[in-house]
Amino acid sequence: MTKGIAAPRPSLLHGILSLLVPGLGQFVVGARGRGSAIFASVVVLGGLSAWTISQKARFPDFSLSFVIFAKLVFATGLLLLFLVALRALVSRFILRDASLEAFSAYGMGILYFLALVVAGNQILATAGSAEQLAFVFGGTALFAAGSLAALWLWNVADAARIGGAGLGGHLPSLALPILLVCLLVFSLGYNITRVDLPKAITEYQDISILLPRILWPWRAAFAYDQEVVEETQLIQAPCPDGAIGPPSNEPQAGEPWISATPTCGEVGVRAITGGFEPGTLLTITGGGFVPGQTVNILWKNPIGNAFRPRGVGETEILINENGEFTSQLNIPDVVIPEATASGDQIHTLVVRQEDVEVFGWRFSDDMKLALVGMLETIMMGLMATFFGMILAFPISFLAARNLMAPIVSPLNGIVGGIVGLVAGIWLGSELAGRAAEALGGLANAPIQIFLIGAVLVIGLGYAGLTLAGRLFALMLERLGGAANDTISAILLAAMIAVPGYFLGRGFSRGVMSIVQGADIAAINEQNFAYAGAILLAVLTLLYAFRNRGGRGIPIGSIIYTTTRTILNILRSVEALIYAIIFAIWVGLGPFAGMLALTLHTVASLAKLYSEAIESIEPGPLEALNATGATRLQTIVYAVIPQILPPAISFTVYRWDINVRMSTIIGFVGGGGIGFIMLQWQRLYQWELVGIAVWLIAITVATLDYVSAEIRERTI
Amino acid sequence: MLKVEHLSMVYPDGTIALRDVSFEVKEGEFLGIIGLSGSGKSTLLRCINRLLEPSEGKIIWNGRDITHIDQSELRMVRREIGMVFQQFNLVKRSSVMVNVLSGRLGYTPPSWSLINRFSRADRALAVAALERVGIADKANNRADELSGGQQQRVGIARALMQQPKMILADEPVASLDPVLSHSILGYLEKLNKEDNITVLCSLHFLDLVQRYSTRVIGLRSGKLVFEGGKKDIAEISDSRFKEIYGEEAQRLGVE
Ligand SMILES: Nc1ncnc2c1ncn2[C@@H]1O[C@H](COP(=O)(O)OP(=O)(O)O)[C@@H](O)[C@H]1O
Ligand SMILES: [Mg+2]
Repeated sequence: MTKGIAAPRPSLLHGILSLLVPGLGQFVVGARGRGSAIFASVVVLGGLSAWTISQKARFPDFSLSFVIFAKLVFATGLLLLFLVALRALVSRFILRDASLEAFSAYGMGILYFLALVVAGNQILATAGSAEQLAFVFGGTALFAAGSLAALWLWNVADAARIGGAGLGGHLPSLALPILLVCLLVFSLGYNITRVDLPKAITEYQDISILLPRILWPWRAAFAYDQEVVEETQLIQAPCPDGAIGPPSNEPQAGEPWISATPTCGEVGVRAITGGFEPGTLLTITGGGFVPGQTVNILWKNPIGNAFRPRGVGETEILINENGEFTSQLNIPDVVIPEATASGDQIHTLVVRQEDVEVFGWRFSDDMKLALVGMLETIMMGLMATFFGMILAFPISFLAARNLMAPIVSPLNGIVGGIVGLVAGIWLGSELAGRAAEALGGLANAPIQIFLIGAVLVIGLGYAGLTLAGRLFALMLERLGGAANDTISAILLAAMIAVPGYFLGRGFSRGVMSIVQGADIAAINEQNFAYAGAILLAVLTLLYAFRNRGGRGIPIGSIIYTTTRTILNILRSVEALIYAIIFAIWVGLGPFAGMLALTLHTVASLAKLYSEAIESIEPGPLEALNATGATRLQTIVYAVIPQILPPAISFTVYRWDINVRMSTIIGFVGGGGIGFIMLQWQRLYQWELVGIAVWLIAITVATLDYVSAEIRERTI
Repeated sequence: MLKVEHLSMVYPDGTIALRDVSFEVKEGEFLGIIGLSGSGKSTLLRCINRLLEPSEGKIIWNGRDITHIDQSELRMVRREIGMVFQQFNLVKRSSVMVNVLSGRLGYTPPSWSLINRFSRADRALAVAALERVGIADKANNRADELSGGQQQRVGIARALMQQPKMILADEPVASLDPVLSHSILGYLEKLNKEDNITVLCSLHFLDLVQRYSTRVIGLRSGKLVFEGGKKDIAEISDSRFKEIYGEEAQRLGVE
């Protein structure tokens, strides 16, 4: 505070008002906005804080946490007041120099913060019993309350100052309260997002095991060749009286063989009590294997299930330098299913030699799956961009203000145009239906039918719009001034009544049925529908009569605003969310993802294109208008050449975004690499997840580079 | 051939750009329009082919009131009236040839021009037009590769493609240096004399007006303050000059 100039005395009254109700003092002085903002901040932040800290409990008790929070605000407020008083006392009695301050406002803030940290537990203890405090986030409560208390006290000082000085001159700065609000919001946000720094450090090992497998997953990307030799000897068990069992194999020269004696015996028996009585002891010999290798012994039961016998002898045997071995094994316990228990039970003794795995110079099946998924992803992005571009291009002209704003049509032309448009579209869809029948149904020739349908509907709609528009205008103009205006207005009102009818009905179904319940709303539905129709019709009539004899209806601006609004709404929902809807509609897979991306792409490209159109030079447009070119011709010759470079750039950029998006759109069922990756993640196949991550990273980085190059070249 | 009667024009923001302007143009005339910048010259020219909608008054073209005709009829009228602009208004990224051909759009069925098709006759016409303004060799260059004077010649060739009965030129040489100005105005004069195309040309410099116009009108703050033949221009006295250009104006000439 500057000394020398007499500072106005602070107003005690206003300070007290603001102490009781934050912002009231300011409000009374006349700083209405300031007062309301302070009041709203304190109420909202206080409530939010009390709610946030209550969330620690399983069954939050809001009133308890509110009381605790209020007490904390009081306590921290006292603490802050104490510091302020301390500052004043030290300045006055120890420094004894009115021009010196013991510490600055910043210093006081730091002291306050330190006090909150050091004496935190003591302050908390004043707010409730240990049992009560267990239900709230103590630390968050302390700092939120501390910020709020400071805000409250600042508000008192502010009110006193403004009350003393009046509204003349400018109001004191809001930097401090804004800082306090930020601090408070930050301390709540820290809690709400569950920031847990210790966890990030202590649980590092969880990821440290996985990380190498994700970061360097390439072993899983390739197939390995392995030669396996399996030699078998048939064994009969149990061995009924008189049975001799299958013949023992004879040694073979030059190739692997095994044999066993006897070939008929009893299976082991495992008692329920845990005891085990091994089966008949077999002597196994073999030869012709690779010297020095280890072979495995497996047992295959009569229905062909192989397993490694346990506790009945060695199952891993080293082959000697002659390629031979001898070993012994008791017949293991084999549970023979009741269904196959009759007749001779023939088991198979298997000796299996596995060569070392040899790198196969081929991709593994998983890698192939990942590559297919990646291809699917890239194509999804490409197709979405392509279709999005085609659809967005014509729409963007409707969303360009400089092209649409000058379009003004007389009332009679609009009436005819709407009639013609509706009739044309109806006729077009009828004809398209016939064409579909002739071509053998939608399933038979979908692409042809779609194209024919689009051409018919758009073409006839446009033809109807222009022809009927002109026809109506001619007919009505013949009637002359007043009759023309009146008839046009009445016809337009009648047409607008139709959407009015449906809007009214929609209001009844959508709003009244929520308020009154569906049954009562259904009774009044028709009334609402008629009311909607009449309302819109009357409004249209009023509008038409007010504009009578003027320049006509700014139909271009109306279309422009409508288009922009729809695009903005479409764009505000992410493609990922559309994918959820489309996955239900057309099923899981890349088609759903493509549709979702396309929808979002149309909305954003149309906006970007239309902005490019709005920034073209108007001169050439004017010049071509002056030559007598039609609107379409001026667009082709004056607009498109000018917007081509930015449009290409935007499209490539969007392609880039779409491929990026399509990598994760599979997470919600949109197909592509994301879909596969999600499956692998759920199976904890971290190498495979790693492969997917790598493929995505490589693709996106490549695309980034390519798109940047293309864009650089087109501008 | 052209009659302007009590023409007034108020912009949507309330600026009154023309106040009750009436004059007549005979076939074959080279009418100069003089006036300070902001006096309403551009507005007047744009009202004639209805690039701007006049607020009041009539425009009579060959005996027909075109002030309220609808869009399709208006196109028929517009294609008989060529227009040349101060900023040339070429499509910079398109070739000279396409720029010239686009002058023919008023005669081309719209669906054809959608797929960039001009008839062989139109192409021949374009080559001829470019030859007339002496830049046939630049036909395949992009428009923005040409110098200012060359660009304005492309602008004239584009107007020629309309086979116009009249050309409206809005300060066609204001962005060019004096030597080029004479060259461009020379082309307009040639079209006026050889092809009997009526020319309405707004010009800044009085000596240019004297040199090229057969008749002149002067605008000041949207009002017609002067009208006279070739002789009258030469004899414009200092006081008359000040009436058109305002008290502070000084006579300044090029050359
Ligand atoms: N688009 C416009 N909107 C509002 N006022 C305009 C517009 N264009 C020109 N004017 C005003 O109309 C008057 C005439 O302008 P203009 O016809 O361009 O004059 P000139 O071509 O003789 O320089 C000026 O006062 C100008 O400011
Ligand atoms: Mg001008």
